[in-house]
Amino acid sequence: MESLIGQGRTAIELICDPDSFAEGSVGAKTFADPDFGPGAVVGTAKLDGKPVTVIANDADAFNEKFPVVYAGVIGMEEGYKMAQAVYATIAADADAPKENKRAIVLIVDTPGNGPGKVEEIFGMNKATGAYQLALAEARYTGHPIVAMVIGRAISGAFLCHGLQADQILSLDSDFGTMIHVMPLTSISRIVKKDMETLEKLAESNPVFAAGPRFFSRLGGVEEIVTNIDDMRATIIRHVGEVRAAKLAGKEDTLGPWGRGALGAERGGRVVRPEVLKLVADEFAAVSGKYLPGAALEGAA
Amino acid sequence: MSKWSTLLSRSFLESNARERAVGLVDEGTFTEFAGPFDRRTSPHLEVLGEAVEFDDGIVTGVGRIGKTPVFVISQEGRFIGGAVGEVGGAKMVGTIKAAIDFADRIAKDFPNAADEEKPIVAISFETGGVRLHEANAGLLAHAEVMDQFQRARGKVPVISLIGSKVGCFGGMGFVAAATDVVVMSEFGRLGLTGPEVIEQEMGKDEFDSADRALVYRTTGGRHKYVMGDCNFLVEDTVAGFRAQLSELAKLPRSEFEALRRIGSEKLVEKQLEGVALAAELQPKDARDVWVHAGNPDPVSLAMAPVPQFRETVKRLAL
Repeated sequence: MESLIGQGRTAIELICDPDSFAEGSVGAKTFADPDFGPGAVVGTAKLDGKPVTVIANDADAFNEKFPVVYAGVIGMEEGYKMAQAVYATIAADADAPKENKRAIVLIVDTPGNGPGKVEEIFGMNKATGAYQLALAEARYTGHPIVAMVIGRAISGAFLCHGLQADQILSLDSDFGTMIHVMPLTSISRIVKKDMETLEKLAESNPVFAAGPRFFSRLGGVEEIVTNIDDMRATIIRHVGEVRAAKLAGKEDTLGPWGRGALGAERGGRVVRPEVLKLVADEFAAVSGKYLPGAALEGAA
Repeated sequence: MSKWSTLLSRSFLESNARERAVGLVDEGTFTEFAGPFDRRTSPHLEVLGEAVEFDDGIVTGVGRIGKTPVFVISQEGRFIGGAVGEVGGAKMVGTIKAAIDFADRIAKDFPNAADEEKPIVAISFETGGVRLHEANAGLLAHAEVMDQFQRARGKVPVISLIGSKVGCFGGMGFVAAATDVVVMSEFGRLGLTGPEVIEQEMGKDEFDSADRALVYRTTGGRHKYVMGDCNFLVEDTVAGFRAQLSELAKLPRSEFEALRRIGSEKLVEKQLEGVALAAELQPKDARDVWVHAGNPDPVSLAMAPVPQFRETVKRLAL
């Protein structure tokens, strides 16, 4: 079976309009240094004739300054570079009306965030956090963001590059796509349950098992794409749907919050809405005590 | 639970999640959400035959400090390492959302409200991130927290408090980094990849996770204070964290943005100067960065009492 693992650049060609991808250029920003964050591919392409920002991973790149970055790992430079591409996108369309804010397409194939001593000394957590905040800002500014999982979407790296999108698509697991925190074999070791038991449990509860189908049932993936040739059309359709939802003021049907509702609808995350309601109700019952001017209770 | 007044002098490190939550806000003002009496346990742990907790290892609620409503989220490391699952994640998300909705309501109904009457969120982190027993739901909850943070920007300040045993790692490491303010004690640890995972991935030569001193040098509160990743370094008492939180509650809301480390293009550019320095220095140890920042004797500095440390340390200027 064919697979796109490690082929972020090929995926860009398959998804975008022919020969439209200009790497290293987003709005007014140019990423001129080829040695800066080489594990992240950023640039501008056309999708169905309209400009889009593309952010992908380069599995062939090795960051000589930060040797933990190879095989698509997102290191400190990569995380900040991706964030810069998003901010440059927001700036490029700052004056554009919502219907013209360009889409951002995330092509996801990353095994992790950079693990290492230097990364911890300088704070890898900030780089991945910075990229997520940038994406969330772009999402609320009106840019449609669609993520396409073509290979590995692993744990914190998927949170970083993918899970802040408005909508998430994934090639089916036939294409070798992997979405998980840990493979089931590792989970089996840690939670001390044999594989057979876990696999059986996974049939009725998608909450721990690995793979796009389980994430889909939890609302973590909007749509599974079953054919490589369908990626382009599916992304174009989702960009259109997302844009329409934003123009209609239905931002709460998109992004992580929208996927929460989807998880309940698909029967995969049914406890979440109950707990959210419980918290809201319990606060509503006492909220008057915390309003400005309410008599201060308690003695210090 | 001990009397409120006796909580304050306690070590923050030794305090459990509920003691921290109650002690951080004024006496008698804390209302818990989805608390133990609601018995919202994790169905996923139950299916696996694991022990459950009636609060799913996280205490959420609202209290007051002076006139300020303080929404509190406090993680319990003694229950599965404070890891986040579906129930605990929803409690966290729901509490931040309640604070944002409450801020909207106050803006509408009390247009003349003073800043100190508007809500803040305080998160006492003690976690390694995702709970593997319900890994997918835990991961998705992390993304929802980040989403709520962006919604809270400029409206509800979110403050991280880190000084508990497990530290703050994994996905919650970048969740904490994405808040407006980070407050730590010297015993707090903040990072992305925990010491055991670095050792497992990169080998013992890169990182010996059994070397506790190395672990604290790399991710501990003093180091993060030098790096600017932690805004305030406080004494390891509930009162110490509470005092800092009280000061922040009074701060004009417009001043929180300046305390951030990430969250704008400018801040990303500033952080990239740090990354360039990392590439240039190639530090073998966090202490190399301390020396570079202008601290010629990092060993004595690391041993100095916290107040003296704060007074004398040179923080990295980017």
